Amino acid sequence: MNNIGYIKLLVIIFIANILESFLAPILIKAYINIPITFLIFSFAIYKSRFNTNALYAFLFGLYVDFISSSPIGLNAALFSMMAYAVNSYSNTFKLFSFIQICMFFSGSATFYIGFSHLFINLENFSYLILFISLIFNTFLFLIISMLRFYFPSLKIK
Amino acid sequence: MSRVAPTSGSKALYFLCITLSAFLLYLDINYKSFERAKNLYKSFTISSSYTIKRITLDPLNYIFEISKEKSKLIEENKKLKQELDNSYIANFILSRDSKFFIDDEAIKKFLDLNKINKPFHLAKINSFDVEKYLCCSQHRMFIKIFNSKDINFIGSTVINDQGILGQIIYDKSIAEILLLTDVSHVMPIISNNHFCNARGSGKPGVITCNYSKLIWPDPIEIGQEFFSSGMGGIYPSNILIGYVSSINATDDNNIHFDIDLVANPLKSSFIGVLEKL
Repeated sequence: MNNIGYIKLLVIIFIANILESFLAPILIKAYINIPITFLIFSFAIYKSRFNTNALYAFLFGLYVDFISSSPIGLNAALFSMMAYAVNSYSNTFKLFSFIQICMFFSGSATFYIGFSHLFINLENFSYLILFISLIFNTFLFLIISMLRFYFPSLKIK
Repeated sequence: MSRVAPTSGSKALYFLCITLSAFLLYLDINYKSFERAKNLYKSFTISSSYTIKRITLDPLNYIFEISKEKSKLIEENKKLKQELDNSYIANFILSRDSKFFIDDEAIKKFLDLNKINKPFHLAKINSFDVEKYLCCSQHRMFIKIFNSKDINFIGSTVINDQGILGQIIYDKSIAEILLLTDVSHVMPIISNNHFCNARGSGKPGVITCNYSKLIWPDPIEIGQEFFSSGMGGIYPSNILIGYVSSINATDDNNIHFDIDLVANPLKSSFIGVLEKL
């Protein structure tokens, strides 16, 4: 498990934000929402060998707020919450199966969608989007996590 | 190597960060404290993408076009498209808003200033967040207005060939449009003798109205036409806004209905900006 550099993560999140802005209008027609930037950040801190500093999560959240034109502070709060949750349960995750990890991440993504919609889309808050996104994200993460079984690894174990 | 659970010190730091985030969120939502920085960033990204496109893609396009014998035809086609958009907007104003031209002095002044016989400025859409338009409550559009050197367009009406799109709320190098469907937008509209303050619904192409049967006893019907009232001083009057698409009774006396707008902001990349009334 490797720690990813700050600059690298900033660039990845920037690209993910652009990708998200392209995909979201298409997926929303099927009531699906995938918070790619949030998931990439969550995955980075999950994979990190060390505990993530609260300021690190906060500043990355502010950065995402700034580039994604969402209200300033929204992603900062959610990224800080996610970092706290991942750090608190980092050892517990080792006892989990990959299915449980996938469910944790899809649950977190759903929480993120619901929470952010409370601020940016309260007038049209939709439980249907939350429910379909939860199911879709769970299956998507399961498929992504299962891919490693079907592709050869270059790592020497 | 195992990771250590957060200590009480780091927990306090997390709590502090979340509290600070909540405070920033409160400031942004209630007082728009960071609007200037956001607009600066948007202007920068739009300008830089435009510049990058000009430096990288445009020369390639140019080479590609001059390599073809029909390059002149392509240019002419582009000009004709722009002229067509121009005439659509002019026709819209002339055909649907004759009352707008009652003030002869204003028309003369406009004609003298612009040396053209169309009381609007052509603008091109620079950036439109379709993601936000389709999913969220905030419906904004960024445009570049042509020939707008000394004119302040804040509060000006924005139209396309179908009808009214919204109004300009920020005008620097790039102008920002508040669309009719944005939840923070309110527009006075009228149908026969019936008046209503229509709010943006946050859904694409839909605005909503509430009224009480005690004040407005006449029934409302599906398909009923609503026009701009001209009250508020932003929009010209008697322009078709849309048709009633659904009606819901919230209780015995109060009715809530949706209006499907006739103007679709995704229709054309060229729009018109009227000078302020």
